[in-house]
Amino acid sequence: MTSKEVLLSLKDVTITFPKGKGVFTAVREASFDIYKGETFALVGESGSGKTTIGRSIVRINPLAKGSIEFEGKDISGRLNSEDTKWVTKSIQMIFQDPATSLNERATVDYIISEGLYNFHLYKDEADRKAKVLKSLTEVGLLDEHITRYPHEFSGGQRQRIGIARAMVLEPKLIVADEPISALDVSIRAQVLNLMKTLQEDKGLTYLFIAHDLSVVRFISDRIAVIHLGRIVELADTEELFKNPLHPYTKSLLSAIPMPDPIMESKKVPLFYDGSQHDYSTDLPSFVEISKDHFVWANTKELETYTKALVV
Amino acid sequence: MSSANEKFQFVKIDEFASEHISAPHYSYWKSVFKQFFKSKLAIAMLFMAVIIFAIAMIQPLFSNYNPLASPDISDFSIRFNRPNLTYWFGTDHWGNSLFDAVWSGARTSITIALLATSINMTVGITVGAIWGYNKKLDKYLLEIYNVIANVPFLLVALMLIYVLGPGFWQLIFVLCMTEWLSIAYFIRTQVMIIRDREYNLVSRTLGTSSTRMISRNILPFLTSVIVTLLSREIPSIISTEAFLSFLGVGLPPSITSLGKLISIYITYYGTYPYLFWIPVAVLASVSVSFYIVGQTFADASDPKTHR
Ligand SMILES: Nc1ncnc2c1ncn2[C@@H]1O[C@H](COP(=O)(O)OP(=O)(O)OP(=O)(O)O)[C@@H](O)[C@H]1O
Ligand SMILES: [Mg+2]
Repeated sequence: MTSKEVLLSLKDVTITFPKGKGVFTAVREASFDIYKGETFALVGESGSGKTTIGRSIVRINPLAKGSIEFEGKDISGRLNSEDTKWVTKSIQMIFQDPATSLNERATVDYIISEGLYNFHLYKDEADRKAKVLKSLTEVGLLDEHITRYPHEFSGGQRQRIGIARAMVLEPKLIVADEPISALDVSIRAQVLNLMKTLQEDKGLTYLFIAHDLSVVRFISDRIAVIHLGRIVELADTEELFKNPLHPYTKSLLSAIPMPDPIMESKKVPLFYDGSQHDYSTDLPSFVEISKDHFVWANTKELETYTKALVV
Repeated sequence: MSSANEKFQFVKIDEFASEHISAPHYSYWKSVFKQFFKSKLAIAMLFMAVIIFAIAMIQPLFSNYNPLASPDISDFSIRFNRPNLTYWFGTDHWGNSLFDAVWSGARTSITIALLATSINMTVGITVGAIWGYNKKLDKYLLEIYNVIANVPFLLVALMLIYVLGPGFWQLIFVLCMTEWLSIAYFIRTQVMIIRDREYNLVSRTLGTSSTRMISRNILPFLTSVIVTLLSREIPSIISTEAFLSFLGVGLPPSITSLGKLISIYITYYGTYPYLFWIPVAVLASVSVSFYIVGQTFADASDPKTHR
């Protein structure tokens, strides 16, 4: 990371859903910054609130508390139409399941043009067509595909249509919600490489959501680990793999399969149990334990963590 | 001996070749029609519906039937003639040609059915789409629906006709008064089923407006459901109209309809059965042909039946 310009900043983001008579808190006081041009990974198990955070950034889930700033401007509340256009254009999302995220009754042409139509982001028909074709080419699809319907494509192609749909708006930030986990193993690398190329060509910033650390290791600059709606650890990728501090991060690391079968068989999986923390009197907070390395811990735990740090 | 290297040469992989789709282009409407015309029964019924519709619509060209005037009333020789070459459907108790009477009646019945159905469908689908899409509106509209849906239709219809007096447009009004609401309710439920699918969420992240959402993301998925509704609505309006006419309410004496003819000729059910059965047969043919054409079309417009 050369420049450290903050593009997106979450501050104490809390998101709740109505549940019965009360509320269910899906995300608790999440705070992090995403720098321009980086790939920021959000990792946690199913139901930990990753999608909920992603959707709040694209303004689908309202916040119960906190704020989200994009390029220094609060985008979490109601916005006027000019700002809505700007945020929608600037922040786009790639969805997990290409089987459900495309409108089956629309042609590829319409699907990719949808955002362009909504904000009239083209001079004339010819210009719109040109934009659609350009973004199709960028994701490795053919001009002839524009008159086709989603059901005529394979899973990997469908996901690339989803990427083209986001790219055509020329966004700055892409929220990629487990973009490869619904894909066949054989084409995961293809889609990841495509995302990488697009990032380099366009200077994109990614929030990459994943449920295990193995994928994330090779593509992300920084990683935030989330557990039950709480971000428990945040560090540079290398630092996190070298110095995992929170027991939950350690358990996630122990779940990564080893390429060597002998080592894999000797591996001891760690199970995380939240009851190991005694937060009855000594309350935890999100602390920067070493430079750019944050962990959710109380004073007593911090002492042990500091001793464990490998420099 | 030449080495293997000379026999082989390197070719570049065409990465785009694997992306090519060789299947012929899919067109939704083309597939719908192809599927529809696979059914021989549907083709026959479509043919019948078109013929009935055409004859009924050109009726004023071949007869000047007027239910108030019976020009041959004094000529006793042309009363109660059974169907023959001059009078294809025979003549009635006042010497009127039943052929003329039936097609004049069919014209009225079909016109009323088509008019009332288009009003009901347009209003019902529009209201239903907004109702299903807007979560806040649902609570209020549901209350209104529950009240209106529990009022007996016939009672209100009879009362209204009594108040408004008989007439073509009055009858249309009565036939549309509550029917659109049950269509709206049906559409509401269908919209709710697809409203929260993921591709609709995607559209929200693209800034798509509610109007575009309804017209591009939701209604296209309801084509089949809407055609099914339509195929039930037309016969249902025809029989409701016939029933009201049979009770003697709705249309003024100057306008005839199939229901009215049936109610007049039922007196001769035993003595001159053709007077009763011919209008009934035409009524049944209209209903059945419209229904079967509609149902087959509804099936054909469900993409699951394509290919
Ligand atoms: N619209 C909603 N209404 C109510 N509860 C919700 C809603 N969306 C998410 N939740 C709940 O919030 C929690 C977090 O869900 P979320 O989808 O963010 O998890 P996730 O980390 O993305 O999991 P996964 O890896 O399975 O995608 C879950 O318990 C889920 O049931
Ligand atoms: Mg998720």
